[in-house]
Amino acid sequence: MTLQADHLSVAVPPERQGWFARNRASILRHVAINLFNLIILLPLAWVLVMSVKSLPDAMRGDFWPRTYDFTHYSYVFERIATLPVNLFNSIYVTAGTVLITTTCAVLAGYALVHIRPRGVGIVITALLVSLYFPVRVVSIISIFETQHWLGLVNNTSGLILPYVTLQLAISILIMRSMFQLVPHEIVEAAKIDGAGHWRVLWEVGLPMVRNGLVVIFIVNFVAAWGEYLLCVTLIDDEAKRTMPVVLAAAQGGQGQWSWPNLAAVYVIVVTPGIIAFTFAQKLFFKGLLEGALKG
Amino acid sequence: MTQTIASAEAGAPATAAGVRFALFRQGVGGWLFLAPAVAFFVGYQVWPIFRVLWLSFTDYQVLSDKPAHWIWFANYIQAFSDPLMWASLGRAALFTIMFLPGTIILPLALALLVDKVSNQRLATLYRVILLIPAVIPSTLIFVLWKWMYNYQAGPINHFLVDTTGLFSLQNAPQWLGGTSLTLPSIAAMEVWWGLGYHTIFFLAGLAAIPKDLPDAARIDGATEWQVFWHITRPQLAPIMMILVVLRFGTAMAVIDEYLIFGGFNRASPTYTWTIFMYDQAFKTGLWRQGYASAIGMIGAVAMLCVMVLLLRIFRPKG
Repeated sequence: MTLQADHLSVAVPPERQGWFARNRASILRHVAINLFNLIILLPLAWVLVMSVKSLPDAMRGDFWPRTYDFTHYSYVFERIATLPVNLFNSIYVTAGTVLITTTCAVLAGYALVHIRPRGVGIVITALLVSLYFPVRVVSIISIFETQHWLGLVNNTSGLILPYVTLQLAISILIMRSMFQLVPHEIVEAAKIDGAGHWRVLWEVGLPMVRNGLVVIFIVNFVAAWGEYLLCVTLIDDEAKRTMPVVLAAAQGGQGQWSWPNLAAVYVIVVTPGIIAFTFAQKLFFKGLLEGALKG
Repeated sequence: MTQTIASAEAGAPATAAGVRFALFRQGVGGWLFLAPAVAFFVGYQVWPIFRVLWLSFTDYQVLSDKPAHWIWFANYIQAFSDPLMWASLGRAALFTIMFLPGTIILPLALALLVDKVSNQRLATLYRVILLIPAVIPSTLIFVLWKWMYNYQAGPINHFLVDTTGLFSLQNAPQWLGGTSLTLPSIAAMEVWWGLGYHTIFFLAGLAAIPKDLPDAARIDGATEWQVFWHITRPQLAPIMMILVVLRFGTAMAVIDEYLIFGGFNRASPTYTWTIFMYDQAFKTGLWRQGYASAIGMIGAVAMLCVMVLLLRIFRPKG
């Protein structure tokens, strides 16, 4: 304490400095952080504003439009015939993927920690190795073959099968570190009371790992909603593809894919995820800190 | 054996048959929980890798009527004698070198700044904003930046041509489409995308450092830089190692971005080993997937070798 006082007495006493001088470090810090925030938000703001620009303003390129035009949102649904179909494909494939992956990951995570059948070591090693191997790229050749053999090429539902494994390994490892937070004693006590593993998992385990559930929900949503490589390789029909893949192929310019229309579709596709995340962010960060970052 | 019986006594019958039954139930029950995950994992991750490994030793062509023959190392010999194989590996490495430093250093700097924000509300707000790009799915990030970099209508060129007048419509930079600017442009986009996510990683690492350590050093007269270099940096080393190795892996194996921004021009800097593989497997000729598999395995193994090397370099000492 005396050391600190010594140290300070060399400088001008803080009460004699102005507000700005006293908070200079803090102000500079906030300015720097907000510069980064601006860089992150500016491209997104550009698209959002673009989606409500009138057509001449869109060609002009200035950030703020002179006249606003909100009709692009209704236009894209009414006039672009495949759009509702593509959107439905995205929702359907993503929902299926998230549901199956979450179920698999919860069951496997619980088993890896609290049942530990013989041979779990191999499973954990294989999962970890798969994170470091470019499986997604190399396996595309064989996955095409498998899907062809199953008759699932050009089939939207068929996408769900390979999509489940996109983030499966990381989801299992996240659930594993979440279930490690559930003490063995609680599981043992429940079992002595006569509960089977199903009931222990459902009534004791799940409520304790719900923050981790939020994390793997978001991780798998993001992976499935935006998947490109598998969809573009396995599906030829534009009407059977998911929305982001169609957007990636669209050339902006005139007609139905004019810039504001494209931007409107973009906003429609991106907003649900951002809103869901904003609401779930508290649980998401808790889950990240509890286990996801260890996984 | 007596130990097993003793521990089983609590819940299950104590006869030898009962114990065996309980053990059996535990083993099978455990694998019952693991079965769905393992089925997907083996079917769509493990099997494909071994299948591609097998295919790489055959002359398998999808669109040909002839059955596949085992041809030993012919595909590998052909790949290694093709200059395109080496060029495409070099391009992937070049991209990785452009991308890796920015995606580690910028988030680290940002995390050090955000970590010091004491106002709880602002700290949360900053974290939410930073993580927004991380919850935007990959393809939509690429679509967004395809517009940003657009030659005519993109805001970047609009700023350079109309706002500042640094360039004219004739010589404005052509960011995408396989020019020499394409790899740096994609690298910048990737850094932007991962900025917030990696910052959160580092913030979690910073939160784990006991606060009295840097405080004590400051009282002893250490500068902020000394505190960072001698206290913070060693504590963050494990996180840094994971990030370097994982991001090295993603950067070397980028494919979607090159498909969307680059196409299949063999002279383009985006024609890396992943595109080379994809081109051979799904675009060119009779879809020579045997040869494509060999290209894929070479790329993957080359990557793995460097990753093992990185793990050895960055492993915490002692």
